[in-house]
Amino acid sequence: MKKRYALRFSPTLVEQPIVSKLARSYDVDINILNADVASGRGGKLIVELSGTEQDLDASVVYLGEIGVIVSEMVKELLFNQEGCIDCGACTAVCSSGALWMDAEAKLQFDVSHCVVCGLCVHACPMRLFEVSHEREA
Amino acid sequence: MAKTVAQINEKIKKGTVVVVSAEAFSAMAKEKDLKELSEEVDIVTTATFGPMCSSGAIINFGHWSPGIRMEEITLNGVNAYEGLAAVDTYIGAASESKFDATYGGSNVIEELIDGKDVRLHARGKGTDCYPTKEIDTYINKDTINEFYLFNPRNAYQNYAAATNSTNRIKYTYMGSLLPQFSNVTYSTSGELSPLLNDPYLRTIGLGTRIFLGGGEGYVVWNGTQFNTRRERTAEGIPTLPGATLAVIGDAKQMSREYIRSAYYEKYGVSMFVGIGIPIPVLDEKMAAHLAISNEKITTNILDYGQDGHPSVGTCSYAELASGLVTLSDGKEVKTAPLSSLAKAREIAELLASWIKEKRFFLSEPVHTFPTDSFVKPLVPREGGEK
Repeated sequence: MKKRYALRFSPTLVEQPIVSKLARSYDVDINILNADVASGRGGKLIVELSGTEQDLDASVVYLGEIGVIVSEMVKELLFNQEGCIDCGACTAVCSSGALWMDAEAKLQFDVSHCVVCGLCVHACPMRLFEVSHEREA
Repeated sequence: MAKTVAQINEKIKKGTVVVVSAEAFSAMAKEKDLKELSEEVDIVTTATFGPMCSSGAIINFGHWSPGIRMEEITLNGVNAYEGLAAVDTYIGAASESKFDATYGGSNVIEELIDGKDVRLHARGKGTDCYPTKEIDTYINKDTINEFYLFNPRNAYQNYAAATNSTNRIKYTYMGSLLPQFSNVTYSTSGELSPLLNDPYLRTIGLGTRIFLGGGEGYVVWNGTQFNTRRERTAEGIPTLPGATLAVIGDAKQMSREYIRSAYYEKYGVSMFVGIGIPIPVLDEKMAAHLAISNEKITTNILDYGQDGHPSVGTCSYAELASGLVTLSDGKEVKTAPLSSLAKAREIAELLASWIKEKRFFLSEPVHTFPTDSFVKPLVPREGGEK
């Protein structure tokens, strides 16, 4: 499997050969998609790791243990349901079936149907939707 | 036998009053004889919770020392009206911040209602009696004097549904309208909506006591764009936007549960206003109006993609609520609501409980609204031509 991660380094971590260690010890292939690292000031790497699920999980644990802040790059819809007034404006633009009004005129949200098109972000008058690109790994 | 408002108020006092919501009444009317129902039920509660741009609040800030004649006023960066006496203002719900187009008067009103501090900045030219030229301070609902909503146009009777014929998405006050007739939006609580239950405003007029934003309010005038010349159905319901109400109420009693700021993408700010109106079941004729159900209320679907928003179909509220309507060319389109029916139901129940708890009595209008009123357009005229 392949997963994308954002790795955030402190200045001291930049001095360590983390990428080669990952490849050698955890048997994952690493594709660096974006790098913004410099000696002395830390930085951020966007990488795609490929390997078995176990190897990926072990890699994330290793990175966490040595102090790298790891987040998975996933595009997902976040919904702050608490502020919802059940107006239904978001259902006007949702064609994936993730948002609908139930028989009680209450809004229902099933994230498993969501294709993260982002139209509801603009349609919600309470601005309760957000497309997130990273989540804690 | 016909009842009077005074008799109904007596029943409230005695604790024998029968109150049901308009939805419950419509359901009862399908089973029971109207005459019988008009005797059994005393009050029907109606409600709506939708975006109503023509809303705002009057505020008196209290006097600064030495005094200032406020001539430029902002609240959290939102312009408020300066053309009243020294420390009075009116802040419109749809007024936008100079710094953030998604923030406006409705946010300021909601924050004040919620007890939050709001930044007040004002300038004056400095006069002998009001020498201060600039102030920058904070206010909240406890520091200010009067703070009441005065909404010039609320509770539209039968707002039209919206769709979009163009090839691009249209962001409107009727929500995001997808290209090529891909959705229809509507803003109403249907058979629960106040002015659809008293279509000729027989019981609603100046002085009618109502639920407004979580507190008690009053109808104080006909709303702007009040239109009684629309074509009506056999039941008396206008088929296009008809009557409206101007309402007033103490904002210090209100809650953000029933007053909520809103932002419509590329349109601007608006405010959800919760309104509940109790309608006395005076006689069988009134019961017939109150029995109205979504199948019998029709509205037009207007094309927001064309100038003048021409109608591209008609449908019943039952169809709108079903999730699918058919346009006049036969195309089936999915629908979505913009006003919260769940909240409107909550308001109708809350108002009914206030009445049962003897906390809310009905009032008779002291003046009824025009029966022949229509809406004129703004006609362009050159150089003062008569």
